[in-house]
Amino acid sequence: MAGGSAMIEIRIHGRGGQGGVTLAKLIATSRFLQGESVQAFGLYAAERSGAPVQAFCRYSEEPITNRNLIYEPDHIIVLDPTLVGPNIVAGLRAGGWILINSPHPPEAFADQFPGNRIATVDATSIARNNDLGTRSLPIVNTALAGAVGKMLVFPLQEMCAALEHLGFKDSNLTAATLAHDEVRLLDTPRETGLSGDEVALPTEERGPSILEGAGASLPAIKTGSWASEQPRRRQMIPPCNHICPAGNNVQGFLDALSRKKTDEALEILLRSSPFPSICGRACPAPCMEACNRIEIDGAVNVRQLERYAGDHGQVTLEPLANRNERIAIVGSGPAGLTAAYHLARFGYRVRVFESGPEIGGLLRSGIPDFRIPEDVASREIDRILDLGVDVETDHSIDRQGLLELARNQDAVLVATGQQEQRDLQLGMNGSEAVVQGIDFLEHVHRGDVRVDGERVIVIGGGNTAMDAARSALRLGAKSVKVVYRRSREEMPAIREEIDETVEEGVCIELLTQPIALHEKRSDGVRRHLRLVCRRMELGEPDESGRRSPVEIPDSDFELPCHRVILALGQSPDLSVFPEGTEVREGSQLLGLLETPVFAIGDLATREGTVAGAIGSGRRSAVHIHGVLSGEHVHITEHADAQRDVDEWCDEVIHADAMKLHLFERQAASEGESLPMTERRSTFDEVHMGLSNADEAARCLSCGVCNECDACVTYCPEGVLKRVGHSLEFDYSYCKGCGVCVAECPRNVIFMSHL
Amino acid sequence: MTATATVHQSEECLLRPGNTNCGGCGMSVGLTMLGRALAEAGDTCTLVIPACCGIVTAGAFPTTSYAVPTIATTFASSAAVASGVASIRDLNDEPGQVICWAGDGGTYDIGLATLSAAAERNENIIYICYDNEIYGNTGGQRSSATPVGARTSTTPSGKTENKKDIMSIMAAHRIPYAATLSVAHPEDFAHKISTALATHGMRFLLLHSPCPTGWKSEPGDSVDLVRLAVASGLFPLYEVHDGARYRINVESDGADPAEYFHRQRRFAPEEIDLRMTRRACADRVQRLRALAERHPIDG
Amino acid sequence: MPLDVITGNQAAGCALSLAGEANRTARGAACGIYPITPQTEIVEYVARFPFTKGRVVPVESEHSAMAVSMGASMSGARAFTASSSNGIAYMAENIMVAGYYRLPIVMVAVNRTLGPPWNIWADQGDTLMLRDFPWLQFYCETNQEILDTTLLAFRLAEDKRILLPALTCMDAFIVSHTQTETAQPEQSEVDRFLPDLDLPHRMHYNEARTLGGLAWPHEELSMRLEIDDAMKRVPSVYQECRKSFTEIFGRDPGDMLQTYEVDNADLILIASGTIATTAREVVRRRRASGEKVGLVKIKMFRPFPEAALREACQSASRVAVLDRNYAAGTGGIFWQDTRAAFHSYRDDVLIQNYLTGLCGGDVTPDVVDDILTNLASRAEASDPVWIGVETGRRTLQ
Repeated sequence: MAGGSAMIEIRIHGRGGQGGVTLAKLIATSRFLQGESVQAFGLYAAERSGAPVQAFCRYSEEPITNRNLIYEPDHIIVLDPTLVGPNIVAGLRAGGWILINSPHPPEAFADQFPGNRIATVDATSIARNNDLGTRSLPIVNTALAGAVGKMLVFPLQEMCAALEHLGFKDSNLTAATLAHDEVRLLDTPRETGLSGDEVALPTEERGPSILEGAGASLPAIKTGSWASEQPRRRQMIPPCNHICPAGNNVQGFLDALSRKKTDEALEILLRSSPFPSICGRACPAPCMEACNRIEIDGAVNVRQLERYAGDHGQVTLEPLANRNERIAIVGSGPAGLTAAYHLARFGYRVRVFESGPEIGGLLRSGIPDFRIPEDVASREIDRILDLGVDVETDHSIDRQGLLELARNQDAVLVATGQQEQRDLQLGMNGSEAVVQGIDFLEHVHRGDVRVDGERVIVIGGGNTAMDAARSALRLGAKSVKVVYRRSREEMPAIREEIDETVEEGVCIELLTQPIALHEKRSDGVRRHLRLVCRRMELGEPDESGRRSPVEIPDSDFELPCHRVILALGQSPDLSVFPEGTEVREGSQLLGLLETPVFAIGDLATREGTVAGAIGSGRRSAVHIHGVLSGEHVHITEHADAQRDVDEWCDEVIHADAMKLHLFERQAASEGESLPMTERRSTFDEVHMGLSNADEAARCLSCGVCNECDACVTYCPEGVLKRVGHSLEFDYSYCKGCGVCVAECPRNVIFMSHL
Repeated sequence: MTATATVHQSEECLLRPGNTNCGGCGMSVGLTMLGRALAEAGDTCTLVIPACCGIVTAGAFPTTSYAVPTIATTFASSAAVASGVASIRDLNDEPGQVICWAGDGGTYDIGLATLSAAAERNENIIYICYDNEIYGNTGGQRSSATPVGARTSTTPSGKTENKKDIMSIMAAHRIPYAATLSVAHPEDFAHKISTALATHGMRFLLLHSPCPTGWKSEPGDSVDLVRLAVASGLFPLYEVHDGARYRINVESDGADPAEYFHRQRRFAPEEIDLRMTRRACADRVQRLRALAERHPIDG
Repeated sequence: MPLDVITGNQAAGCALSLAGEANRTARGAACGIYPITPQTEIVEYVARFPFTKGRVVPVESEHSAMAVSMGASMSGARAFTASSSNGIAYMAENIMVAGYYRLPIVMVAVNRTLGPPWNIWADQGDTLMLRDFPWLQFYCETNQEILDTTLLAFRLAEDKRILLPALTCMDAFIVSHTQTETAQPEQSEVDRFLPDLDLPHRMHYNEARTLGGLAWPHEELSMRLEIDDAMKRVPSVYQECRKSFTEIFGRDPGDMLQTYEVDNADLILIASGTIATTAREVVRRRRASGEKVGLVKIKMFRPFPEAALREACQSASRVAVLDRNYAAGTGGIFWQDTRAAFHSYRDDVLIQNYLTGLCGGDVTPDVVDDILTNLASRAEASDPVWIGVETGRRTLQ
């Protein structure tokens, strides 16, 4: 006790804005209301919100005559846990209390402050929970007042009386009461002979003179000590990257395009897929459906940008190694070729077996030239072959052939896709009036079919149906109608292709189920048919998640036609495998043999998209490589790790985590299409692509730093600097204000509590 | 003790780390942006700062947080001291700008006569008012820049008077250049600084400067708040040449000012007449559009 | 050296202008000017002067006039201004700041009664209000003295051992508007007397230094102590400047404390400004009739020449301090400082205060004569004696 009298002196360490002086006044007021003489005061200087500051409180039953600062306090209160250090106990009397705002128990500080009693309470949480102050600077004084009362053995109601006397109500009273109840006391000091450090006396030396030019020294305050939170950087998964079936780093190649680095964009795409030009034309682009930019002004036109990169980029590829293992791949569709591509890049000796006359499978024959021109497909396939992949065309592999391969190859991948075409018994199947869509498209590809003057009906809602319908138009059909049993929402074809199909004059009969096909008459030139149809309505969702069609009784009607094309989808032909083989991606087949044999692509996944086949091909190639070489290649859904970040976050960043208001609206670039007048007479490509890659700048780069440097621009302290591709925070000065966090449009910078 | 460091501003930020401004201080952002714009233009400056947070920023003698020559003046005097400094600069053919960096108290209130006189004399100085709409340095009292409805320690139930239209006052002096600045629009900020640097005579810039302490807002929200003020028409971004020709630089997108008020605890929801505020915003924007159409800068 | 009939104001304007022009070979000169009766003629003179390298800034207030001068001074230019009465009161904040910034600004003040009620006549209350500021203060009794002292003030203020601003004062109308013969120096002489100003702590556009800002008690205390050191050096530096002035201009600008017939004087009058002129004449007459009376004129009020004052009054048993000013609740300000100067040194001197000429009242030889008579008759000192209250001329019996 000071001077042996009953005077108690308390020193409070806090930060500007936390309410240290008010805490001193609260303690003083609680004693004043009990009739004691009191003083409460702050040590005022230039410090601002967040800076370490001190406040003082004295009380005594006798009148107080001391008007000085407190150099030898009886007790100490620390408002901010980051201030705890040797300095705070300067002059503290042995046995005095140290009350610390901390979530830790008092024992955690016992070694640091031997000889003193210690109390702790998590006043910050109490203040935050009661909405006192701001997030970065919670006002903890009223909570600590409650804790002080407990520590110094004042009845709670005395401190509450002081709070009310000073006009505090509601949440402040709650905070004080909570802290009074929650404060933890360590009443037995750890043994020591020492008390706090001596307070240094002011120097007797003269201060610097303004006449001698003083006033230019650098600031000595390390304001980083003011921070209760600090900004850090993380990387999240953009939804486009996450959803891309091919595993493309969508954000990455868009970023490169936005920097006018077309070759780099193509190089990024080729890390995952050998078919950017093809996917840039034929992919349903789920990335665009997942694009967060939809919430602003529409998805980034990723499909066309991929096409742009594929068509305009220049990249020379070489195998990355040279290996002796031989790998056979059965089937040369997108899955098989993608696997061949990656395996060839790993350095394997790859041979591809194709049953047809041309390599490329449905890539060539199943998608007409007006969507994927021949030269585009050839260019991308040649790029794979140029890696040294051998090809055997007109070489189909049966069950026996597969066993043969398994014996003399080091690994076999079966990528035969879905070759079985679904049928629909309408009554005239087998006649030339009814043709399968895939077969029709193959004829189109070979150029040996015309439908001049015919009414053509295409049954189905997928891309094959659209391609067949549009091809029929170009081959002289009088009219083309697509019949689909569900609504447009459920059509599996790419939305844009449906639009183009309708634009070109194809009529789509939705919610219509064909029942039967009858021949009305034949005029010698052609047979006049009638397709009996039934109206449908949508019922409960089926196993595909789409609403299933339900017949409407007595709704039959007839459609006149000359030809019916069935495009009802395909299923895999499993005859090459032993009966009962379960064909899944990643599961080894023909387990009796040591050679790894895997099914890949649509055969294994039944996804039915080029992008899905590419993804499967890539995964399988990596898997095989792991099996053969023992090397583990990690396939990540993150954008490639170019960024120096503090934390990798495996969460997909959705629109609600983006600061969308920071982006300016800008409509998407669609690119030009062939004039409608030309479309019905030519197989020239309909979409002419983007004339430049400016559209890439619309990419929000969700969750991935794209060096927009808003954080650097807005940092009030100028302590955030761009150094090359990385950001450097100077934490010795960062006050933790959070402006960089608030201004990061893509949620890369976040606050972490200290 | 002699100067321990003579640092030229091109080598470092105008505002040094280690200054004692509050976290999220809009003035700090403004000074940082000003420093960048000067460096970009290859220009230098002497700061002349009256009593306000801006001079406390410098810190305790013999240190300074300013990496440029800086003069502290009495509250009402910055424009007059700057007149003296600029006079001697010009008499000696020396380079660099003389920039007054003053708060709203020193500009709208106590320093208004001095500022007006300097403007009338067309002194060759740049006067930047960082307007945080409060006497921040003294702990948050009302100034004539405080907006209607804001609670301060001297308007405990909300200010009943409207914010003074200092821009119109300055434009009425027919000075060569006057413009408003927002730290939420760095490109516009840079454009206006560079225009000011290229202009001779009196240049007045009004910076809407968020003050988390006085506005009782999250420090991290500072930039976004003044962005909202621009978007809603509370603080339009425009420039005036010769007091006569106008240009709106960032159009208000008609955002609702309500969010601006809700995110600052200096405003009590019940004291803000949103209908009146929206109308005032619309009127302000309309008036400026009319001026910009009738008297365009490029016309 | 042309001798001409000019006013005190013109003499002051001439001194300020020639001093400013003399710095044309260095960083030039500038001043803020603002009119107020009865000093307006000074700033008009300055505004007309064709400076080679200078700028006169006509501002909107005295406060800004000093601010402009400070800005110029901080930039290394020679800076000055002039004011009076309420103008000085309005300027006071910046006057103080110029002192603490150690800026060698010279200001001419025409001592005029502070209002209200409004009165334009002589009273020293305006400048004495500034007595505790770090400024040198000089009170002059003639046109020549105001001219010479103003020039000398620049040399003294700018001396690196001093670096404090200086005020030179004259009585309203009695000096400011009275036309008498005054020698006006040549520019070349002033050029020789005033070296180029080289302010050691001036601002450089390319040096990141902050002038002003905050200070802790210890740092600020040191700065105060430096001011005290500088003030203590003033008397000796003053003598150097005075000697140089005499050599160049062939005329003595006068000592900081001027005595007249103080040898073995029993009664001594202490006065300043034009009252000293009148008092000197009265002393001359009384001496002629054999009385042991003398006069001490205090020219330099800040720093207060305590030691010289005690020495000058060695032989006196009674001292009358004539104050044309009044510090409310106490008395004359020269009187207070005189009493303080004697305190602890001599307790055998009767020091009586006479408040005379306040608020523009005329101080005639008869008034001074009566004061001497009153002083001689006193057994002890009393409260300050107010003169001129009842008749407007004299109240002493």
